[in-house]
Amino acid sequence: MHLRIYRYDPHSGSAPTMQDYTVEPEAGDRKLLDLLVRVKSVDDSLSFRRSCREGICGSDGMNINGRNGLACLTPIDGLAEPVTIRPLPGLPVVRDLIVDMTQFFTHYSAIKPYLIEKGPPPERERLQTPVDREKLDGLYECILCACCSTFCPSFWWNPDKFLGPAALLQAYRFIVDSRDGATAERLDYLDDVYRLFRCRSIMNCTEVCPKGLSPSHAIEQIRQALLSRSL
Amino acid sequence: MRVFSGQVPWLLQRLTALFLIAALLVIFIALLFGVLPDYASWRAFVTSSHGATIVFVSYLAVCTHAWIGVRDVLLDYVKPLPLRLLLLMAISVLLAATAIRLLLVLGAALFV
Ligand code: SF4
Ligand code: SF4
Ligand code: FES
Repeated sequence: MHLRIYRYDPHSGSAPTMQDYTVEPEAGDRKLLDLLVRVKSVDDSLSFRRSCREGICGSDGMNINGRNGLACLTPIDGLAEPVTIRPLPGLPVVRDLIVDMTQFFTHYSAIKPYLIEKGPPPERERLQTPVDREKLDGLYECILCACCSTFCPSFWWNPDKFLGPAALLQAYRFIVDSRDGATAERLDYLDDVYRLFRCRSIMNCTEVCPKGLSPSHAIEQIRQALLSRSL
Repeated sequence: MRVFSGQVPWLLQRLTALFLIAALLVIFIALLFGVLPDYASWRAFVTSSHGATIVFVSYLAVCTHAWIGVRDVLLDYVKPLPLRLLLLMAISVLLAATAIRLLLVLGAALFV
């Protein structure tokens, strides 16, 4: 198979290039990540992140034939050749397919991704009804791979101010959690021209999420929560 | 609801959009069923006090909707603050000028 991979070392002083590789899938190779590992065994200067190789760790997000996705979840079958692989767009490149995720995680920590106490801690664990627990479905599964945020035009235009779909999906995950006591503060923080309202419902995020989640739906829910609060 | 929130403009844009869709629908139906068959009847409607109010309020909705839309584009593409402020002012003045002109025209037709 013909792969065309983005190569860049910011310290080298030379401009990014696209390098061609030809690899043959071997028995048992199913996903694009298998091919990248084969390339790496031939050319160990090629750099990319990966760990779990099964869509759990969120580290191998990249742009594959123009679309963000996880290499480990992208089937080899059906990929148009040459398979053009670039780093996630909109973030600084550290090297080759490795991007600097600092901005992404700054937004994530800004939404306080943890439960904030409602009152005195209970004697035992914090209980939740099955109905309340179900509200977290479609939210808790996010693996923070950044495929959505780095495919969002609003994030490209204002990466420092717009939180991006991943952080907003996480924000909603805590807003809707019955055990969380800081809903009002969370909504106050999001009610901002940039943080939430740069989203234009373009829905690239939902289109591209490799876990099948819908950040744009979560964003809509936040807007509704803000609305019902002010009415 | 905070005044300088992100929500107020967002909401205004949606409310004006709904209003304008409704207005367009009414105009379309009026045209379709010949409620106002000719120029003279349209003119009479627009220069009545109710008609003039409806036209002017609709135009204010257009201005609000347009201003927020342009502001959104400027927030995305025009990063230098002075330039952004200048463009926002320019579009505000332009929209306000057209609204005032409409007011004068309607007023003239209504009272002269
Ligand atoms: S919402 Fe989906 S695409 Fe976005 S970070 Fe989470 S898992 Fe990745
Ligand atoms: S729906 Fe909003 S967050 Fe998602 S890609 Fe579009 S602008 Fe970005
Ligand atoms: S390697 Fe962990 S998500 Fe792909």
